Amino acid sequence: MPLDTITKYFRKAYTECTTRIYDIPPRMLAFLILVMFTILPYLIPYGRSLREILSILISANLMAILAVSWDLLVGRTGLISLGHALFYGVGAYGTAILYKYFGWPIWITIPLGMLAGVGIALIIGFPCLRLKGPYLALLTMALPLSVTGFLYYFGDVFGRERGIADLPRVFPGLRLYDRYVADYYLSLVLLTICSIIIYKVATSKTGMVFVSILDDELAIKACGINVTKYKLMSLAISGLFGSLAGAFYAHMVSGSANPRFFMDPTAILPMENSLVPIIATILGGIGTIYGPIVGVYLYRLLQDFAFPKIFECLKAVGITVDVYFQPHIALVAFISIIVLLIVRWPRGIVRAIVEKLEDLEEPREVEEILKEKAEKG
Amino acid sequence: MHLLEVKNLTKRFGGLVAVNNVSFHVDEGELLGIIGPNGAGKTTLFNLITGYLKPDSGKILLKGEDITGLPPNKIANKGLVRTFQIVRPFRHLPTIANVLVALQSYRGRRRIEWIKTAERKAMEMLEDVGLSDMALEPAEILSHGDLKRLEIARAMALEPEIVLLDEPFGGLNPVETEYMVKSLQRIHLDGHTLVIVEHKLHALMKLVKRVLVMHNGEIIAEGAPEEIAQNKKVIEVYLGKAI
Amino acid sequence: MLEAILIFGIINGLIYSLVALGFTTAYGISGIVNLAHGAFFVVGAYLYGIFLQPLSNIIPQEFSFLAPVTAAILSIIITGVIGSIFYRITLHQILGDEVSILITSIIGCVIFQKLIYITMGYAAAFQFRIEPLLSGQVRVLNTYVPSGHVLAAIISLIAFSVLAIFISKTKTGRAMKALSQDLESAMLMGVSTEKMYTFTSLLSAGLASLAGILYTSALTQGAASQMWMQALAISFTVVVLGGLGSIKGSIFGGLIFGIAEYAATKLLPGGGVLQQSIPFIVIIIALLIRPKGLFGKKIEME
Repeated sequence: MPLDTITKYFRKAYTECTTRIYDIPPRMLAFLILVMFTILPYLIPYGRSLREILSILISANLMAILAVSWDLLVGRTGLISLGHALFYGVGAYGTAILYKYFGWPIWITIPLGMLAGVGIALIIGFPCLRLKGPYLALLTMALPLSVTGFLYYFGDVFGRERGIADLPRVFPGLRLYDRYVADYYLSLVLLTICSIIIYKVATSKTGMVFVSILDDELAIKACGINVTKYKLMSLAISGLFGSLAGAFYAHMVSGSANPRFFMDPTAILPMENSLVPIIATILGGIGTIYGPIVGVYLYRLLQDFAFPKIFECLKAVGITVDVYFQPHIALVAFISIIVLLIVRWPRGIVRAIVEKLEDLEEPREVEEILKEKAEKG
Repeated sequence: MHLLEVKNLTKRFGGLVAVNNVSFHVDEGELLGIIGPNGAGKTTLFNLITGYLKPDSGKILLKGEDITGLPPNKIANKGLVRTFQIVRPFRHLPTIANVLVALQSYRGRRRIEWIKTAERKAMEMLEDVGLSDMALEPAEILSHGDLKRLEIARAMALEPEIVLLDEPFGGLNPVETEYMVKSLQRIHLDGHTLVIVEHKLHALMKLVKRVLVMHNGEIIAEGAPEEIAQNKKVIEVYLGKAI
Repeated sequence: MLEAILIFGIINGLIYSLVALGFTTAYGISGIVNLAHGAFFVVGAYLYGIFLQPLSNIIPQEFSFLAPVTAAILSIIITGVIGSIFYRITLHQILGDEVSILITSIIGCVIFQKLIYITMGYAAAFQFRIEPLLSGQVRVLNTYVPSGHVLAAIISLIAFSVLAIFISKTKTGRAMKALSQDLESAMLMGVSTEKMYTFTSLLSAGLASLAGILYTSALTQGAASQMWMQALAISFTVVVLGGLGSIKGSIFGGLIFGIAEYAATKLLPGGGVLQQSIPFIVIIIALLIRPKGLFGKKIEME
């Protein structure tokens, strides 16, 4: 096969391969997104304002960045992380500390907060990489839970429960409504840029080495690759984008950096910032880059729009559910479905659907298939 | 100076001595075979030389340099590469990418001549083993025989000084075996040094000039294939006492 | 001072060891890292608390000690059953896929936390009072220790001994040990992995619930629905120190952790706040020294 053919089709073949970890053809993806945004207006429960919706979407976009960074580390390099909230919080606290104690503007504090994320990733990463699977998973889970202790120990610096509050907005000059819109577009732009960068990394030769580590660490060592170096690289990139998301969240949504970034016992989903990337990525497809994005949107769609709508309809039929319990019941229903889906289709729900669709194609003669292959080659 | 020298290598697992004071050497351009019944310690010896296990005592020298205890990737970068008995492809990568990642190593990047790109080099490797048609297919659809050839392509991509092959004929049908024999002969003629651990004696004996026989962690015989085939002790070890 | 640290540390440590016991046993026998262990810890504590009050009302004064005992037994059995049902419908289907097992089991923890909240209401989910087993103090050497703590530690020791005897003496126990050492040979010998794994899930959930009862009654006097995180953090620390899969290591790890934690909270100024982080510090230090824990995978006794 001539070399130019190779280079021309390589990107395509490579993307196809690696997105087979769980896969979703681009057309299917576009269709899903179209469906989502089309039915969105019909799902808005009575009384939700555009501002609320924008707020949810901003959070979703930032969470999607976190999820994509998780996917790079776990789905593509194979390093399990049950505590990605760590980066979220480090990014937030990084920018907050610099703002509060040095007074620097946010276009300096946020990048430095991101660097803090990278730094933490490398420092934590170094001892972690020697760990076998279960130990690594356990450690990553314990990390964000334990950081809160430090935050309280140096309570004067970090502000205890309240954290560091009154962080400046990204667009302080705009009026309230306009600011939401601006924030939304900013979050969308950030999501797009981060996804593209991570996509480029994933499809580069470095990304290929990541996948080879996921597939067979022993074999890639025999090829002379310094696996530790590449694992740290993956960790650093993941930490960079995770803390980017956290830093922007602190400025755009919460206005503060507080311990709840790491662990929030009062949140509807405990360990939210660690679990959402996982749940979303499973839903959307591990190892792809867009999978986590789709997953986060599906999650928010269900939690914030679909389920309240369902409860509304139930109310109309006469079944009333206490408002306080609604989100919790919704969550239990949602994640129970996730569990059953994982169990039934461990290789990905979407993939199962796609395979089902392929099965429904007309069976073809062997000669036909061979002829097709010959023509392609 | 020998290309590869193994001196007094010993490895114990609990009470079991898997490799017992083994010494041998390989000279440049040689084609050495290592045979022995199951449990003789061949694979353990392999893993010791290639850095996957640390010996309890002994030394391994590559071109005079002590590589004992180095991690596998450093050893590979110094020019000692290996293939695996049970194939270890990267299933989620296209076939050509399996070779490309090897070229991302330190040695891989140094060794690519300035005029060639990594893709071109990878294609050459695939062509050498006859896998160029499958370049863009994901590695997971390759047949077992193809995967064995891919192992070789991947190892050769690093332009090694010496290649250690762990049962390259395992699981191959007669046609594939013949092809593999020819491939290995060609690689040898190109000037590479090969050490082959193998079970399938007839394939190996055609290929190599010198054979080591291992049993219970020790080398019990050494010589040309014809001599070894006649060696009483070797026959006993393989077939049991009565002939 | 030193004596107090040792005594409290050992007592706490024994309880911690028990918390980790079910978790480490499950891994040792079936190779599964079942994070839902934390959920059964909490469920066990809550069930105990729920049964305790009505039982105390029924049982006459002279046999009042029977109330906690009965409540505990009921809780352990029910939690064990819940645990094995959960295991069968979820983890058992995806054996071998380690990542999915981790994710599924942790989602399981969240599910149970939410179920507690939904069924028992906000107040109970947040803080559910559980009476200590005994009141008053006992003098150990020169230190005064709450009696409840001492009793909990003793019960923990008894549990360990019972488990050890069970594994070495009974047929099922020895089958478990065989499984942990060599899966293939055990299967060839006729050990049914399906039955054994299910039994293991029953056993480890039961142990989790016992640990939950002791921990919440002695150390915290109350349960909270999110305590599964605490249970898991303790379990992790213990297994990192003692090795995942090793019962002996569990005791060892628990004791070290117990002493180190107590020492840190007492010796460091303002150290009480650090309590949540201590598992992590301990883990990091231990892993830096020995990335595989101090004991291996096999279930060893003596």
